[in-house]
Amino acid sequence: MKIQREGESLIVSDIHELTAVNSSSFRDEINSALTGSTVVIEIDLSNTQFMDSSGLGALFALYRSTIKREGVVLRLLNPVPEIEQLLELTQMQQLFEIVRR
Amino acid sequence: MKAVLICPVDSTGVPRLAEAGPLATTPILGDCIVAHWIERLAGVGARQIEVIAADGANRVREAVGDGARWGVQVTVTVSKFELTREEAAEKYKAAGDPAWLPEPNDVISMSHLPGCQDRPLFESYASWFAALSAWTPLALTPARVRISQVRPGIWIGSRAQVSSSAELVAPCWIGDRASVEEGAVVGPGAIIEDRSVAGSSSRIAHSWVGPDTFVGRMTSVANSIAWGSTLIDWRTDSVLHVPDPFLLSSLSKSKSSATTDRFGRTLGAKAPAGPQIDLIKAMGAPRAGASDANLPA
Repeated sequence: MKIQREGESLIVSDIHELTAVNSSSFRDEINSALTGSTVVIEIDLSNTQFMDSSGLGALFALYRSTIKREGVVLRLLNPVPEIEQLLELTQMQQLFEIVRR
Repeated sequence: MKAVLICPVDSTGVPRLAEAGPLATTPILGDCIVAHWIERLAGVGARQIEVIAADGANRVREAVGDGARWGVQVTVTVSKFELTREEAAEKYKAAGDPAWLPEPNDVISMSHLPGCQDRPLFESYASWFAALSAWTPLALTPARVRISQVRPGIWIGSRAQVSSSAELVAPCWIGDRASVEEGAVVGPGAIIEDRSVAGSSSRIAHSWVGPDTFVGRMTSVANSIAWGSTLIDWRTDSVLHVPDPFLLSSLSKSKSSATTDRFGRTLGAKAPAGPQIDLIKAMGAPRAGASDANLPA
């Protein structure tokens, strides 16, 4: 997983899978990278081929922590169709701004 | 009167359906395709039906038996490849034999459902779902005593259980022994096959839920084919094997309730409780811009 800062944006990419194995470190690493100046968090899911309930739980935890920070936007970028299906199945696509670029 | 049924083999457009067995034995609205066709032919006077199977002949035999169920004699014959209608007529039907049903019921390729010739079943997942939707109003025949239309466009199996707080939106089909739990919204365009469960506050619309399938609490199945732990978006052909059984899984006794990911690791059955609880909370979380009336209970 790669975390980059570009101005006020935090971009998380190279997530190959998000499961019980790495969901805690995913959450912790992003939370430690967040600063007061972060306005946008973008989770690039274009390389994410597999996600389970732990991964979805980590995304939800991130969602909860961002709504506490006023003005911070959380975006999911380019999820592959299978991940999009999983988000729709769990109705979590309604929580996130999903962007395709 | 005699007739021939040709089992379809080409599953290029619907490969995941073929994984469960020969296409002719795929369950649709409470029975398999070949059974629906035998019932139709028996209804128009057939007494001897030859079923030509190039794939999974034993499974086809298991599905239809000797035909006594329909009061006809059924034999299943193995073919090396899928015959066309013309090839089958030439091979099995003697010219001018009055013992055969008149055309077009003499030789039938089961690539569509009875009475829906313009709706091919197996060209794609979208065509499969369109064919099922078109055929649903025609599926209730006098011989089918375990399903009834309770309101216009709503069919429910006699041993199905539907919670009083569930919402059924026409058209929808709830198969025999299926269960729709409290707060679930089923329809429009939903087909839930026999023995499947729509969990509490789940939503199923424009979708087919195969037999013995559990749709978990608060999950949303839309524009999809859901069978066991497999979820197919029929608009895009995208296929997802859902790793967590509490979201979508098979209830079939012959299959393990646990599922495996693409690396063959067993998931779900051993999933820790924490993330599951977190996710259930997430699925019940207020949606941005959603009204209270739309929220799951």
